[in-house]
Amino acid sequence: MKRNHYFLTFFLLLILQILFCNYLHLSLYVSLSILPVMILMLPIRFGTIFAMVLAFVSGLCVDFLSEGIIGINAFSLVPVAFLRTSIIDLIFGDEIFARKEDISIRKHGIVKMSVAIIAVQSIFLLLYIWIDGASTRPFWFNAARFFVSLVAGLLLSLALSKPLSTNDHDL
Amino acid sequence: MPKERKTSIVLLSIAIFILMEIASFCMLRNNGELQGIWAARMSHAVMAKAWGGSENLRHYLSLNKENEILANENARLNQILGQYQAVEAQRRSDSLTAGISLATGDYVFSPATIIKISRNKQHNYFIINKGLEDGIRPQSGIITNNGVIGIIDAVDKHYSYGLSFMNSGVSVSSRIGKEGAVGPLFWDGRSFDKAVLKEIPLQYKFASGDTVWTSGYSAIFPADIPLGVAGESRIVNGAVNEIEVQLFENFTALRYVTVVENIGRDEIINLEGIENQDSK
Repeated sequence: MKRNHYFLTFFLLLILQILFCNYLHLSLYVSLSILPVMILMLPIRFGTIFAMVLAFVSGLCVDFLSEGIIGINAFSLVPVAFLRTSIIDLIFGDEIFARKEDISIRKHGIVKMSVAIIAVQSIFLLLYIWIDGASTRPFWFNAARFFVSLVAGLLLSLALSKPLSTNDHDL
Repeated sequence: MPKERKTSIVLLSIAIFILMEIASFCMLRNNGELQGIWAARMSHAVMAKAWGGSENLRHYLSLNKENEILANENARLNQILGQYQAVEAQRRSDSLTAGISLATGDYVFSPATIIKISRNKQHNYFIINKGLEDGIRPQSGIITNNGVIGIIDAVDKHYSYGLSFMNSGVSVSSRIGKEGAVGPLFWDGRSFDKAVLKEIPLQYKFASGDTVWTSGYSAIFPADIPLGVAGESRIVNGAVNEIEVQLFENFTALRYVTVVENIGRDEIINLEGIENQDSK
């Protein structure tokens, strides 16, 4: 039941991301992406390999249905999935894996959650902006785009982490 | 979970990660025009760095071979230069001094490597890696582009022993300036790069900074090999000048040298022998 809930929410948020990419163009400096938090909130019982495959497939879906440059989201998201367990271990501690409990704001607090979201968003945005710019844009533009996108992505991701969290839906 | 299983899962994760990144990168390159050009530029830059680095390493490792090639080329060019100088000298003698023959001799140049050299004695020597089988004969000279190194004293099948210029028993017939006075050049007995030019008559004018060359009057060394630069001078016995010479060659860093053999040397020595007998 928990698992179904997560993947249903994941699928809906994937559609939301596709809609963002196609219809929501706030500014040249804002690249809004909720894919990193979707991968971060994947239940702990799923290992790195599954996370990478899910990241690759969802990244390609977004690429095919919106971005126009096929491969850019997949390329940027797979490292997030690869480093997911290391980030969780670093920020939330390794007892999470021992107890096999999933991460949530309610259990671990908004501060730890924000740090984790910043970490995964940073990895994603660094790669995304680097590839998207392809050395044609100046450093200051890329830096500004990174920081603005990071703040926007953090706020949106914090809001969406609650529906994605399996712990917050315990009966 | 056993440690081996954990390690294999980690390795598998890394492999899948690399595969997925490569797959996404290939898709990016094929679908984005800008990204395709950028990827091509990046791969060219990486290849240039990698090939450049390996080429530098290969070049560094082949320096010995490069040096040998250069030494051989040096010897060949010295040979050609010697021939041109002989022709030039002949042409001058024909036009200016008809009836007087100039004995310039013919010189053969061969490259060699010094495999042992002594520097801290009063009678220093060296050994080169060429011998009888390479055509080396006793009383051949050893030179570099920077000056005279010594004279071959004994020859074996594959090696030759020579007396270094840094030897109190060795002197080189030298001229101060291209047409100046001639005298013997001796090692000063103390440093690695200084010598003394002796027996320069008082009436000959010279200046500090004049280049000292081989005179060509010895049966061993060809003329006009630069040896050093004249420095301070002093008068000895009220009759001759002794001039300090700063040598071009530094004997602490010798490796690749040229063996010079005067083909006409035997004839010159025979003539000198006949002349000495007649005068007696």
